[in-house]
Formats: sequence, C-alpha cells, structure tokens
Amino acid sequence: METEIKNKPHRKITFVILISLISVFLIYYSVMCMISPIRKLEEIKNEYRAKTSKKSDVDQRILMDTAYLKLLKDKATLQSRIVMAETDSIYLTINMADNSANLEISGVVVHKAKMSKVQTSKILLEGDDNTILSILATPLTISHAFATIKKEPLMIKMAPKDTSEYKPDIMPDTSIAEPVNYILETSGGIRIYVYQDENARINEKTSQFRFDINDRIRDTWSALKRVAVLKVPEYHPFIKIRLPRTDAKIIFRALPKNGQIAVFS
Amino acid sequence: MKNKKIIHDGAQPEIEKPTAEANRINNESKPFLKVVRILFIIICSILVPLSLILFILLVVPVLKEFAPLQKTGIANIKDLKKDQNYKKQIGLLTKDIQRLSLKVNAYTSGQSYIVVNTTENKFYLYTNKKLVREGFCSSGSYTMLQTSGNKKWVFKTPKGKYWIRGKTTNPVWKRPDWSFVEEGSPIPPKDDFSRYEYGVLGDYALAIGDGYLIHGTIYKRFLGMPVTHGCVRLNDEDLKVIFNTLNIGSKVYIF
Repeated sequence: METEIKNKPHRKITFVILISLISVFLIYYSVMCMISPIRKLEEIKNEYRAKTSKKSDVDQRILMDTAYLKLLKDKATLQSRIVMAETDSIYLTINMADNSANLEISGVVVHKAKMSKVQTSKILLEGDDNTILSILATPLTISHAFATIKKEPLMIKMAPKDTSEYKPDIMPDTSIAEPVNYILETSGGIRIYVYQDENARINEKTSQFRFDINDRIRDTWSALKRVAVLKVPEYHPFIKIRLPRTDAKIIFRALPKNGQIAVFS
Repeated sequence: MKNKKIIHDGAQPEIEKPTAEANRINNESKPFLKVVRILFIIICSILVPLSLILFILLVVPVLKEFAPLQKTGIANIKDLKKDQNYKKQIGLLTKDIQRLSLKVNAYTSGQSYIVVNTTENKFYLYTNKKLVREGFCSSGSYTMLQTSGNKKWVFKTPKGKYWIRGKTTNPVWKRPDWSFVEEGSPIPPKDDFSRYEYGVLGDYALAIGDGYLIHGTIYKRFLGMPVTHGCVRLNDEDLKVIFNTLNIGSKVYIF
C-alpha cells in the first residue's frame, strides 16, 4: 500500500513529461512543415531571379504589370510546347484555364480529356505570377510514378515445347475496370495527382483511400527523417486533377517513363 | 489553522460507519471498476497514438497550405503604359508570340494522318485537320513469349510518331521465328515456303517501319481488343479507306 502511494506521483510526473514531449514534438514538426512551402517559394524565386537577371534588362516595374505578365506567360506556354514538340516523344499538357489535359506528339494533339476538378497548392495559386511563370517556362520531366495500375501490363507466356502443348490464345477480359489513380512526381519537385472521376463503388473508394494514405505515409516518413536532423522538410507543390477513368488510364499508359508535362494557367 | 480549530472546538460530525451491506456492495463493484479502468486505459492507449498519427497524416499537410506566403504586388501603372520602353517590350513580346504561335500551328499537318489509341484500341483518321473516320482496331497484346532457352519476344505496339514507309495490296505474311515458337513448331530456314501465308493480312498493308504493319485481319471478333503481336489490325472497310487516304510519308501517331 505504501509503495503504491509512493509510485503514484512518480507515474504522474512521467505522464506529464511524456505528454509535454509529444506536444513539443508536434508543435516543432508542424512549424517545420509550415516553413517548408515558404522555403520552396524562396528557392523558386531565386531560381527565377537568376534566370531573368542573366538575359534581360527589363525595368522591374514592367515585370509587375499584368498585361506584360500575361504576354510573358503566353510566350512561356508556347515556348515549352515547342521544346516538347521537338522531342518526338509523347507528352502531356495541362491547361488550368480551360480545364483540359491533352496528350500531344510532335505538337499534334492526339487525345483530349476534360478535367472535372482541379486543385492546386497555395504556392502555385497564390505564390505570384513570376513564380508561376518560372514553372511554366520549362516543361516538367517525370522522375517517379506511383500508380494503382501497371504502366505496361505484361503477361508472361511460356513457349510450348511442341505442337501438342500449343494452346490458342483466349480472348482477353476487357470488362475489368480497375481503379485508376496515380501520382507523377516531376524533377522540379511538383507532383501531379491524377484521380479517376468515377468513385461510386466501394472498391473504388477504398482503393483511392489506400492510395492516398500510402502517399501521406511516404511523405510523412521523409519529413520525419529530415525533421529528426533539424532540417526543414521538402515541400512538393501539387496539382490534383480528376479525369474520367478511361482518360486517366490512356494518359498514364501513353506517357513514357520519363515523359514531359507542361502546366499552363 | 482556523478551520482546524473550529473542527476541534465544535462538535465532530457523526461519521457514518460502513455497514456490512455497504461493504458487500463496495466489494462487488471493485472488480467492475477495475474492468472499467482497464478498458479506459486500453481505449486511451489506442486512441491517443491513433489521433497523433491522424494529426500528422491529415492535419499537418493542411497546415502546410496555410503557410503565409508573400505575394508580389501586381500593378497597373498608368504612367508605365506611356513609357516608350514598356511599349517596345510589349511590341517585342507580341511579335514573339505571333511567331511561336505560327510554329505551334504548323505542327498539325493539313495532310492526312492517322492516330492510334492502343489503350482503347481505336483509330482516328484526319484529313485537313478534320476527323474523317474513326473505328476499332487491335493492337499489341503485351504478352512476353519466353522459351526454355530464355529467348524473349514482347508483343506490343510501339508508341510515338511514325510515317507510312510502304503500301502493299494483297500482302503476304512472311512468318517470323516467334510465330513458330509460339505454336511449338520447329523454326524453318529463312526463305522456307512454310514461312509464307496468303490472305491472313487482308487486302492491304501499310508499313510503318521495324516490321510493324497496319493491315487487315481474319479475326474480326477481336477488334477493339489488345491481341496482336505489335501490328495494328483493322476491319476491311476501314483498312480500304485508310489505304486510299494515306500516302507514303503520311504521319502515324500511336499512343
């Protein structure tokens, strides 16, 4: 009885210390995460400044003019389309102004898709026009892709040893509609999230939830690793779009592994 | 101190002594309370880490979007519009945009071209930048044929920009090695008569390079499905229109 009485305040202190430590860590982690977009914006601004100071002697006031910036944006859009068209490869253009996502080959639009919903991170939406301009000026190159479907659905078939073992191919089952959600991580750190529009079935909802949670876990894990060594976590500006399932699938399968994407606003 | 004194000075309140009945109830409720306490601890030990995880996974990403960002001021300065340098810059940019727009528009040929969608197994034929015909086709099956000797063939339609390199009527199929391996037959010599098959490619064939063809098929029920060894198969009517519309050098876009 006496030891129990003695243990209680000790346990209480441990509990209070534990709660305080967790709270301090949560505050520290949240603050570090909130700093990350500010750092990223600074990085982009510095990059943009370095680019513009090299080649133009334009009056700084002109750079703040809406009419001038609009023209500059149009020029950047056309320039990046030309850069991609010269590559002979398949690339994606996302036009946020008219909600379209188009596949192009050598400047020819080969597939058009309508985006039903577009959500962009604050840095791209409210950063400033110069930031967006610097992002538009060069096409983004895909460095990684996380998806719920395979890029190339290869089936391995062993060759028969003789004609007696030969079996003719059966008709492929095209009725299977697997959920299509993917993330295209680009070299500039921008992530393009593509979700299928159809989300009525339970398996579609659970697939998207699992896909989303996995992405958050990946992101949190890398942030925790950086925070643990007192570094600001990396921030990835994002563009989240919703497309019809077939369009989302067509785009994912058509884009090369290191394909290019241009985002226009 | 004062209170103590009052208590000591005044009459002591009568403390109700626990009766045997009360003791029994107390003893009976003790295990119940213990269970409740254990349950409470278990629920807490699940809920607290769970809420922590949820906070980190769901709340922190939202918080990131609330970070205060400094927006560069956008201005519409009236004096600036009259400035000669401003006018010059606007003029230069407008010229650049016109030049670049012309270049971008020139990419889409006014001549005929065909677009093949291998995911949906559909084709689209364009003339003068207008869609003139569309329909189903069959493209590569994404099958990898493997022999015990570790020889491999992947049956997929190549993607990208191609052009018509040759046009043939009543084409004859010269069976490649894989078509024998696939059946389990021995591979005949290069120009053996067993390699030649008549009538299986339809009435026309258009070569797009690397041995890939756009041709007809006897397996019309498979149109709209990925079943070929890499070629693009069409039905007879579509193939005839495409053969007559496309010339050597016409573009073929496959995605």
